[in-house]
Amino acid sequence: MTALLSVQQVTKVFGGLTAVDSVDLDIAERSITSLIGPNGAGKTTLFNCLTGLHRPESGEILFGGSSLVGLRPDEITDRGVARTYQNIRLFGRMTALENVLVGQHLRLQASHWSAVLRTARQQAEERAAREIASELLEFVGLGGREGIVSTNLPYGDQRLLEVARALGSRPRLLLLDEPAAGMNPSETDRMMELVHRLRDEKGITVFLIEHDMKVVMSISESVAVLDYGEKIAEGTPEEVRANARVVEAYLGPEVAVQDAIGAASH
Amino acid sequence: MPLEPATRAVRTGLVAFAFLAYLILIGVPGKIGSSALPVLALISALFFWLTLRRESAVLSTTATGELPAALQNKPGWEIGPKGASGLSRVQGFLTSITGITVVLKGLLAGCTTGLLIAVLSGASATAIGNGVSIQPVFDKIVPVNLAALIGVSPGQIAQAEVPFARFVLQFLFFGGAGLLAALVVAGAKSSQLQAAQPARPIARFTGPTTVNVVRYTGIALPFLLLAYIAWLGLPGVSVFGSNEGTVRLFITLIATGSGQFALRLSKPGRERTAVSVLLGLGVLAMPFILDQFQNSVMGLVFIFVMMGLGLNIVVGYAGLLDLGYVAFFAIGAYTYAFLSAPFSSPYISSLLIHLGVSPESPLLGYWMALPVAMLTAAIGGILLGIPVLRMRGDYLAIVTLGFGEIIRLFMLNLGELTNGPRGILEISQPALFGLSPSNVTFGMLSSQGWIFLLALTSSALVAFVAIRLNDSRLGRAWFAMQEDEDVAEATGVHLVRTKLLAFAIGATFAGMAGQLYAARQINIFPENFSLFVSIDALALIIVGGIGSPAGIVLGALALKGLPEVLRGVDEYRIVTFAALLVIMMIVRPAGILPSARRRIQVSDPNELGPDSDGVLDEEAAQLQAAGVAESAANGQEEAV
Repeated sequence: MTALLSVQQVTKVFGGLTAVDSVDLDIAERSITSLIGPNGAGKTTLFNCLTGLHRPESGEILFGGSSLVGLRPDEITDRGVARTYQNIRLFGRMTALENVLVGQHLRLQASHWSAVLRTARQQAEERAAREIASELLEFVGLGGREGIVSTNLPYGDQRLLEVARALGSRPRLLLLDEPAAGMNPSETDRMMELVHRLRDEKGITVFLIEHDMKVVMSISESVAVLDYGEKIAEGTPEEVRANARVVEAYLGPEVAVQDAIGAASH
Repeated sequence: MPLEPATRAVRTGLVAFAFLAYLILIGVPGKIGSSALPVLALISALFFWLTLRRESAVLSTTATGELPAALQNKPGWEIGPKGASGLSRVQGFLTSITGITVVLKGLLAGCTTGLLIAVLSGASATAIGNGVSIQPVFDKIVPVNLAALIGVSPGQIAQAEVPFARFVLQFLFFGGAGLLAALVVAGAKSSQLQAAQPARPIARFTGPTTVNVVRYTGIALPFLLLAYIAWLGLPGVSVFGSNEGTVRLFITLIATGSGQFALRLSKPGRERTAVSVLLGLGVLAMPFILDQFQNSVMGLVFIFVMMGLGLNIVVGYAGLLDLGYVAFFAIGAYTYAFLSAPFSSPYISSLLIHLGVSPESPLLGYWMALPVAMLTAAIGGILLGIPVLRMRGDYLAIVTLGFGEIIRLFMLNLGELTNGPRGILEISQPALFGLSPSNVTFGMLSSQGWIFLLALTSSALVAFVAIRLNDSRLGRAWFAMQEDEDVAEATGVHLVRTKLLAFAIGATFAGMAGQLYAARQINIFPENFSLFVSIDALALIIVGGIGSPAGIVLGALALKGLPEVLRGVDEYRIVTFAALLVIMMIVRPAGILPSARRRIQVSDPNELGPDSDGVLDEEAAQLQAAGVAESAANGQEEAV
């Protein structure tokens, strides 16, 4: 099976700091992949490179066989990559429905003239867009909250709304940046269920950054680990959990050494 | 009943009195003439309205951030006037305890002001009548000024022959102003309050008939005012003496502005359609009713409405602070001037002669030149837009400021092309079907009336386009860009195209306004296009309410119309105007008629969310628990 997203030797440097260092990564179509690593490991920077917010210094990013490097963020979204943000970035003064409508911006064709004249086609398109937006809100579990101004939604709902907005552009690949951060256990469960449904019902490939190991271990089919910008491990959740370098990155070298000694003495 | 609302009402009355006393001390009543009393009462009614409105705004829908179900999915501009649904809500509010409280408050505030004014004028009149001269201290407290305020002749004051009933009348006028303001607030606020709490009917005091009377009075107000203005314009009618023109203009401003509120008071559906059509006809009739001076002011007001609507696209919708907006206004004006005035630069002249056209005759008429002026301004907008694509906030403001100055200096210094500071003279007038202001058969319309009519129709067209665009995917993209540029781009908004469209469309509207301005002025000079034009345009959308076309009309009426009305107050004109502006921004920081979105932003973030939800819940709970109406009112005052 060919990879939907193929990251090849991507490097991103900020001043003297190499935030992402020659990372290779393949993500299979219709898979759920997690990206983990300690704070400052370069996870979000990698996401920003994928979505065009940053341009990598070197390396290649192939999506469905064509390069994403050097494209504008809106062009990348047009190709089928959508994302959410670690610190929620909704359009605060817009209602939930309007947020999702902006998400659909790329998929609407009507010209601005037709908007001034309110042609039948433009009106039909707007109606359809509103219906789709309502369906997407329903899908993420925000049915009936269309008219609420997004800053006034509860925190967990704001995260769900970010997902709905991203779905508006009909992505093939969805990047979720810490979708469960700050959520209580029941909200986390809802989010995990949503991630599964995204893949199973909509056929979307999901690539997520997450700190909650329970989430990572239970929903991912494969896990990649970044530390100081380098990919230090990749594999199934079990393989990654057993990897000594991962333990070292998370818990520090001493613990890893003791762990190794302990393992040897047993 | 707690005393607090009463104290607050008295305080409102005192502030209104202080303001009126200032107006009296600088001699405003004398300038206005015999209708000083109603005019001052109207001014205080406006003040009471603003204050009461703010006090009862705590329960507004935006406090919870949730728009009523009927308004969901509507763009911000539509939520205002069209959202409120007439009769049932007005009725609900008026019959609730809160409604009665507001009305009593208004009445109390009005009576306080009225009492103090009556005492002030009574004391002064008595003093003057008894030969005491106050003039050395208050130079404007002269019989003429005082007589206008009381509504008697100056002679009566000098001889201390003022009937007591006159003071009672003064008192009644201001008390009535308070009541009027309270009723308007009651009507407008009812929708939100009804959403938040069930009405507690007190059928003994009010009923549907009262409500309908209030409502239809509100709807009829602009028409009554228009009829009044028309009557005043008839030959032989003279009630005001020397300042008749100014007073008529003032009433015109109020008539135009009150149309907005008439629309709000009408029931959606057939009634509202009828009211809009009638209002449209009424407004279209204005150029025919007004005289040359009034038309010239109203023409300028509506030229600035066009400017405001254009700038609103750039600043209000797309969130790009543009301080050099006058540049496009100037481009539109000069383009038309080049095309229609006899003067042409040596370059253009030689080109024209080469083409076999006489440089003395206008190249293009108004309508032929219109697309050219619009296109030139749009290109100007794009040329400004390209270098500032990456700039935000303060930097953008400074660069655009510079751009505005560059265009002005260009017009000033490129003498061979623009005739420099001597300007371009004898710009030709717009004509339609062979009719033009210079045409004698035109008859009915004065030349300035013709400009006003054009400004009106162009503003309507511009507003139509702006509103429709804002209600499309382009409008959403603009607003998303304003909220978070990076995220908007990552969500799929093409930033370059979207920004340039905002600049270009905004500039096109300014170009149209500029062309009409050139036609109005006949002669234009570079100093017509100074930084202050940009500031005026920006100020009027801020005062009116950013993002709200209806607010922009009110803003232009206030900013460009009021100074002309205040011209009668000669040396205090600018001070008075500035004071009015300051009061405005304190009382209504989001503008006169803000868009729903803007209200969300300007409200204190701490007032939003869980806190105010709590207030509402608490109150609802109290309302349910308390059987006695009085305790419900208590609860509400505490919550406030």
